[in-house]
Amino acid sequence: MNRLFNPFSPLTRRRALQAPVAALAAGALPAAWAQDTNPAAPPAPLQIVGPWEISGLAPASSGYVFTRMQVTETLLDAADDGQPRPALARLWRRSADGLVWQFELRAGARFHDGKPVTAAAVVRSLQAAQVAPALLSQAPIESITAPDEGTVLIRLQRPHTALPALLAHSSTMVLAPASYGADGKVRSIIGCGPYRIALLVPPQQVETVVFDAYDGPRPAIAAVRYLAASRAETRALMAESGQADLAYGLDPASLRRLQRHAQNPALARRTAVRIASVTLPRTVIVKLNAGLPALRDVRVRQALSLAIDRAGIALALMGDESLAATQLLPPMLGAWHNLDLPPLQHDPEAAARLLRAAGWQRHSDGLRNAQGQPLHLVIRTFVDRPELPLIATALQEQWRLAGIAVKVSIGNSGDVPRGHRDGSLQLALAARNYANVPDPTGTLAGDFAAQGGDWGAMGWHSDAVVQALQELTRTQTPPERTRALRQTITHTLQTELPVIPVAWYRQHVAVAPRLAGVTLDPLERSYRLTGMEWSNP
Amino acid sequence: MNPLLSKPWAALLGRRLVQVLAVSLLIGTLCFLMVRALPGDLAMRVAAGRYGYDLVSNAAADAVRAELGLDRPGWLALLHWWRDMATFNLGQSLVSQRSVWHEVTHHLGATLRLSAAALAIAFAVGVPLGVWAGLRPQGWVDKASWLMAVVLRALPPFLLSVLLVLLVAVQWSFLPAGGDESQASLVLPALTLGLGLAAGLARVTRAAMREVVVSPFFEFARTKGLSDWQALVRHGLRNAAVPVTAYLGVQALFLVEGALVVETLFAWPGIGHALVHAVFGRDIPVVQGTALCMGVLFVVFNLLVDAACLALDPRHTQKVAK
Amino acid sequence: MSSPPESLRAIPPEGGRTPVAWRSQFHGGAEAEPSVPPRPFRWPVRTVLGITLLGLLALFALLGPWLVGASPVVQDLRNTLAPPSAQHWLGTDVLGRSALARLAHAAQLSLGMALLAAVSAAVPGTLLGIAAAWRGGRTERALLMLSDSVLAIPGLLLVLLVAALAPGALWALYAGLSAALWVEYFRVSRAVARPVLAGDAVQASRLLGFGRGYVLRRHLLPALAPTLGTLLAFTTSQAVLALAALGFVGVGMQPPTPELGLMMTEAMPYYEEAPWLIAAPTALLVWLVAAMMLLNPDRETA
Repeated sequence: MNRLFNPFSPLTRRRALQAPVAALAAGALPAAWAQDTNPAAPPAPLQIVGPWEISGLAPASSGYVFTRMQVTETLLDAADDGQPRPALARLWRRSADGLVWQFELRAGARFHDGKPVTAAAVVRSLQAAQVAPALLSQAPIESITAPDEGTVLIRLQRPHTALPALLAHSSTMVLAPASYGADGKVRSIIGCGPYRIALLVPPQQVETVVFDAYDGPRPAIAAVRYLAASRAETRALMAESGQADLAYGLDPASLRRLQRHAQNPALARRTAVRIASVTLPRTVIVKLNAGLPALRDVRVRQALSLAIDRAGIALALMGDESLAATQLLPPMLGAWHNLDLPPLQHDPEAAARLLRAAGWQRHSDGLRNAQGQPLHLVIRTFVDRPELPLIATALQEQWRLAGIAVKVSIGNSGDVPRGHRDGSLQLALAARNYANVPDPTGTLAGDFAAQGGDWGAMGWHSDAVVQALQELTRTQTPPERTRALRQTITHTLQTELPVIPVAWYRQHVAVAPRLAGVTLDPLERSYRLTGMEWSNP
Repeated sequence: MNPLLSKPWAALLGRRLVQVLAVSLLIGTLCFLMVRALPGDLAMRVAAGRYGYDLVSNAAADAVRAELGLDRPGWLALLHWWRDMATFNLGQSLVSQRSVWHEVTHHLGATLRLSAAALAIAFAVGVPLGVWAGLRPQGWVDKASWLMAVVLRALPPFLLSVLLVLLVAVQWSFLPAGGDESQASLVLPALTLGLGLAAGLARVTRAAMREVVVSPFFEFARTKGLSDWQALVRHGLRNAAVPVTAYLGVQALFLVEGALVVETLFAWPGIGHALVHAVFGRDIPVVQGTALCMGVLFVVFNLLVDAACLALDPRHTQKVAK
Repeated sequence: MSSPPESLRAIPPEGGRTPVAWRSQFHGGAEAEPSVPPRPFRWPVRTVLGITLLGLLALFALLGPWLVGASPVVQDLRNTLAPPSAQHWLGTDVLGRSALARLAHAAQLSLGMALLAAVSAAVPGTLLGIAAAWRGGRTERALLMLSDSVLAIPGLLLVLLVAALAPGALWALYAGLSAALWVEYFRVSRAVARPVLAGDAVQASRLLGFGRGYVLRRHLLPALAPTLGTLLAFTTSQAVLALAALGFVGVGMQPPTPELGLMMTEAMPYYEEAPWLIAAPTALLVWLVAAMMLLNPDRETA
């Protein structure tokens, strides 16, 4: 019937069966051959793998990706302890009344499209950063102007000592005027850092090469690639198989696995990675609604804190017992870590006593108050950081033993600020970065202001803390006074517990053996690529 | 006469066209309604998607709400959406502010590449195995493929992929463990998806082969004097191909969705991963755009499968025109 | 409707086996076959094995939590990821909870939930399929278009959207899964019901005056029952795997409820230092699917 049109003649059918097999074999072989690299050729690009995806090009959304890759620069940098350092601004001056700040730009700085960095371009980027949630919106800025090509002038309504720290945040990064589209949105990333973008494929990939016209020392690493991989096992496996040179965001399980393999030569894979670690200024906190009748009593809050087995949580879920928080701010924040404070304890009997004193009687099914109502709370958390739901589960069980029934509600990170505003929040578990602005004063001022903060106090305020934070923010206090104010703040937070600290964080990175000069930035602002080099095998 | 020019084919084409229109309208409206009905403040979700948990705040949500005009009444937004659909304007993503069309093609294209590779692997591995098992039933190949089918069907894809990565990427340092740089990085995720499919395909091919081998026309071919192999190739395979094609058609669709976990594990920039992010982040335009494209793809794919079945076996016009 | 008169009760229902004695009566008796005792019906080995496996699993799901005794929520943060021992037969998970207790509770919950989701997909799907086959014409076309459109929506999206209506609530997960799964029941029941309804037996019943209920009870249900039974089994295992995938993505139940998918997701990072933690729920799933495949070897699609 259809001899003329017979698409499945025997010959083509046979070929159709053979073709995929041949294609598979042909596809796999070059990959195997490609592993044998020619030693005379330049080394392959530095491959970084991390959990952070590039969600859009706005500086507030993904600016941190580009500042970490050193593609863009901010006006100022921050040292490990938060002190401001020159970056795009060569030097800066503050007027006597603290209301006018003047920044002198580096003379030879150029954008990646060849044009010089002018003050007008900087002003444009800074003005874009004044829209929330870019952090410059926290400063009481009256105007940002460019009196001449190399100077930027910022006028404030009130003194704000944390301004240099704000200008080191990635949301204030400086982009060339050509980066913006006609609608004012960022269309491409043209920065002025030592690397320029060669390929940008959001949300997962960005590739950079050295920018030849950079006015600083030329970095040793010629090309860098970043890939976002959302699972920690994938990142660890990529490090072990040699596919990634730097693997960020290792979870405790992967860390133990890599350490086990390093110790046991029989298990060693092709590449023996080493682990670099740094403690981060990030704390796991329980944010409380102190406006709730049950939590208004400071004894109940203290009981909640005493019932937490922080060492157990740190050991089981973060791999290191020493990460159990003794106070809100970790030791690496230097002067803010108050060594005189009595550490937070795990004492279930003391917790039971405090709850009884606050009027909660222990029944067979948990605590009930004088009116017979049980103590039921809901703790909100999110999955963006995978350890948070597990910590919430551990807390739920520990509080159940104390007689408090807690329900865990895993949702979106936006649920916490929303619950703060509409008052529906009871408890929330989050991982707060207290050096979000490199100077913790700024973050603390936002969290513990008079009306509370989206990620800080709710239904609680302390005049002493508010005044201390205001004084630190507005005036350049002498060291003794600074120390005294900080002690007031930390002491009040430790005794009143508007937020309950649970554990601190340590960042672990797997480093390939062919990479030398690797240092980690505790403020997570930069991968410090310019300091790295290839080690000779 | 070319079966593809015949009347049943024209009727089929017509029906599928109507289906495309109906499906698009239904999906578009349904997605719109559902995403609006979800709990949680839209502006806050979008802000959380854009800025992350360190920076999201009420101030950010207010800025997003003002920027996107999210306090418009629902019915107005629905009318706008219908108008946009009619002009093929899929809008911009609320989170990344890139064009939805660009995002969808990028992600869907990656997933389609992955699915195609998985299908190729399944075809190359499963069909020969199934043919062999069908020709020699109760043999060791038959039993082994049954066991493989059970195990591979029950293993969650993420477990299979981890095992594969451990074996291949780390132990033998053969192939990349993640990313989207080269053709080589396609092999592992495609293998994960393809092996499970190959197991099922082997069983279906085996069943089809059994039917062919016991059928009268096959016996007649042997009686005529053709050898086993010639009879198989000339008469058997084409008849066996119909149920196999239908099965592949159904499974290929599940592949596209089922690739979600594999994409997440291998950092493959696919549509499942993007869709989950979009639903969590309440990125309405991306959700609607993705659903629309996938719906249209579904209809087009069904059309292709019907065409293939029709070309393979023109007798079954009734079945196809169902 | 009223039961049929005595003389007509001899007409056997569709799909039934005719006993020899009846057959000889129908054929007039004169040419009756020699009376050979019928072969005793023997279950094939595969089916016996499948039923046994399924039965053991059901027993574990029903009685396991009570037998194991240990609590699935009590944690011991200093005894995490412990290997199997006399005290904990399957060791402990990352929070120090007994893995065997969690497995028993998870089996109960996951299997029960999946069965419920499958049933809540089966009932509307089957009813709609029968309605489509019965009415034909416009109703059938409309229902076909509806089912095609629902099929066209990515199943994952549908489940995600419905499940997101009430995060963490069980009913939302059921609703999402049944919204995605009902189409298969619709198609199968329609395909089975059409030849039955067009057949002679139903025609005869209608001519004799029996109503819809009788046709449903005596003709359709016996025809549908075997197919639906195996389909239900397969949909259940599909639902268990789908729940695991959802838990993997983050749309699951809230802690501390043990659920198979959640357990697999939680145990995944420890696949090297504590492989038994992920092996146990996986083995349970393989057990379930093996039982399904043994029970019906012809149906290869899952």
